[in-house]
Amino acid sequence: MNILVCFTTTPEVEMLTDEDWVIDKNLQIDTSFLKPTLDSYDESALEIALKLFDASENIKVPLELNALTIAGSGANIILKTLKALRFKRVVRIDSHEDLRFRPMAVASVLTQYVLKHAPLDVLLLGRQTSIGENTRTHLLVAEMLGWPCITQAIRIELVDRNHLVVTHQMDDGRLRQRIQTPCVLSIGDAPNTYMRVPTLKDRLRSGKRPIEILSIKDFQLSDETEELIDLEVIHHRRAGILIEGKSPEEKARKLYEGHLKGSVPVQER
Amino acid sequence: MSLKREQIAEALKKIVGEDHVVTDEQVLKESSVDRFRRFEAYHGVYRLPLPAAVVNVNSTKDVAAVIKFANENKINVVPRTGASATEGGLETALENSIVVDGSGMNKIISIDTYNMQATVQCGASLQELDDRLREQGYTTGHSPQSKPLAQLGGLVATRSIGQFSTLYGGIEDMVVGLEAVFPDGGVTRIKNVPRRAAGPDIRQVIIGNEGALCYITEVTVKIFKYFPESNKFLGYTLNTMKTGFEILREVMVNGYRPSVARLYDAEDGSYHFSHFAEGKCVMIFVAEGVKPIADATAAAIEEIVAAYDECEQVDPKLIERWFAHLNWDPANLAEEKTEIIETKNVCNTTEISGNWSIINDIYEVCMQRVKNEVPDLTLLGAHSSHSYLNGTNLYFVYFYNVVDCRPEEELTKYHLAIKKIIVEETIKAGGSMCHHHGVGKHRTQWIEAEYGSSYYILKKLKSAFDPNGIMNMGTIIPLEK
Repeated sequence: MNILVCFTTTPEVEMLTDEDWVIDKNLQIDTSFLKPTLDSYDESALEIALKLFDASENIKVPLELNALTIAGSGANIILKTLKALRFKRVVRIDSHEDLRFRPMAVASVLTQYVLKHAPLDVLLLGRQTSIGENTRTHLLVAEMLGWPCITQAIRIELVDRNHLVVTHQMDDGRLRQRIQTPCVLSIGDAPNTYMRVPTLKDRLRSGKRPIEILSIKDFQLSDETEELIDLEVIHHRRAGILIEGKSPEEKARKLYEGHLKGSVPVQER
Repeated sequence: MSLKREQIAEALKKIVGEDHVVTDEQVLKESSVDRFRRFEAYHGVYRLPLPAAVVNVNSTKDVAAVIKFANENKINVVPRTGASATEGGLETALENSIVVDGSGMNKIISIDTYNMQATVQCGASLQELDDRLREQGYTTGHSPQSKPLAQLGGLVATRSIGQFSTLYGGIEDMVVGLEAVFPDGGVTRIKNVPRRAAGPDIRQVIIGNEGALCYITEVTVKIFKYFPESNKFLGYTLNTMKTGFEILREVMVNGYRPSVARLYDAEDGSYHFSHFAEGKCVMIFVAEGVKPIADATAAAIEEIVAAYDECEQVDPKLIERWFAHLNWDPANLAEEKTEIIETKNVCNTTEISGNWSIINDIYEVCMQRVKNEVPDLTLLGAHSSHSYLNGTNLYFVYFYNVVDCRPEEELTKYHLAIKKIIVEETIKAGGSMCHHHGVGKHRTQWIEAEYGSSYYILKKLKSAFDPNGIMNMGTIIPLEK
């Protein structure tokens, strides 16, 4: 089974101070001085792929891991880590375009890559990035490929060369399905998926294998049916009440008496 | 006859009141360790003797009464405030210890901007004190990475140092006066004066005692005028640590005092600066103070560095933003816990110091030996973060995957194995095995080698001030069985 994990690097926006949140006319903030990092959903996708690799060794199903990102050279550090973690091919499609709000373009590039580098059986993607947040790329790429897509996947088990069992989160519960490849799986809020860390020896061993670098110019950015016209910031604000008190006990009492009493269960002591 | 744990708890309740004595088993377990054994603790493994109780003290009088009781009954006392210790100093090495928690003594007693000093209780939060001062245009000048967690009593007890030490000094340079309780229950106050030559500087008996001689209840520290608007950030990439040490030395011996002078090797740098300095060493300076001084300091450093061809200057914003997120708060600790449990990838550190002539040799031999001798490393690097006229420190940072061992074997297999190499190589070269974390309980085996013939003085201090051996036994000086 050949798995391709597609991931995005995003700037570590936690490093921004309040003064840095200056939004320009294109609704951009300057993140050029921030460290690139993996989004949590993409990190989960990569770790789930590694867990599948572990499982494949136990049940003797041949499995190959590949990783792909569309990014500038800042992503190389993550690709090097993936190399050391047993990803066979790590590919960067070199691009400095702002693709945050162009899911159709991203999906078209991924589709072209998958078709050109067949056979790939499973496409794993994080469900969204912290920038952009369009939650559409996985659906669009599945549609373009004509593959089934399962969203909000939180656990994937390897069955055999052509089958997986996928657990995915739904509004009212979790659904566990046996599915046949090829498929696109969009990874949701998956527990226990911090990405593992390669040892220095792993890094040394994988050091000579190159990162494959392709150019975005070699792909068709097919999103002419969509045009970004405007962006609007939505301020999520909720009313708040500041509880004053001389001690934590007094504040807790006021919180309980004034706001929680009757609405939360009280444990008998 | 020694008291049983229930008797100890009952007696303590009579002294400080029932509400201030905690005997909940989980609290006792968590109070038997500090961050040194956090991997075990994250896995619910607690192997040390549980304390008989944790006592939350609210006044110097409480502290005096509890310690006097402990002394009369020969019960080990572990003083604690912010509980951010990393070297086992808060571990309860003996059965039925009393953990005396001073975090409730958290008042900022006075801020005296005329005499430029602030007086606080031991449990006062450094973050809160510094925030209060900065609102008024002042600062403590003390900013360890644990600033959001640490409290003044613990900071003084461990001879803490902050990120701006090159200008403001370590905590030992900041403390003006103190109040402390000694094992007989006596309260000692050292007055706040600019300087005196009335015998030895007895503040230094208390500063850095790690709770092994007395309990610090009140601290007076210097305060400084704060001019953040003049701050100048400088960053450079370079090829070798050797060059970096030379530049740091040149800055220091020429009398410049940037508040920050840091040098990262390529490995440690990759953790922080991969976005602009992959595979390179990184050197950082911050010049601060009144504008003419900050400007002159920055200009002089730029001139010094310009003479080294291998140094390339980077956008100061890269440094400024990185610096703003260096400290650890409770959210970082919670995240670290989850990450460690899931990935079994643990970070630990060992900090040493040495004169300019030996520091690069220590760096090179430690890096080589640790890499060759310790398995499962995922990162091994070092940085210098505190420089002096005659030398600098090295802060070794190492991450490893805990593989094929139980939680209780992690320290021996990895952290202590690495620490042993670093400590022994440092002492052999003539450096100091502890720069700013304190000795705690896991570097005591080398304390005689660290002190040499002056160990006599340290031993005498312990036997003179703590004749019954009740103050944080096993810290600084090893337990003798």
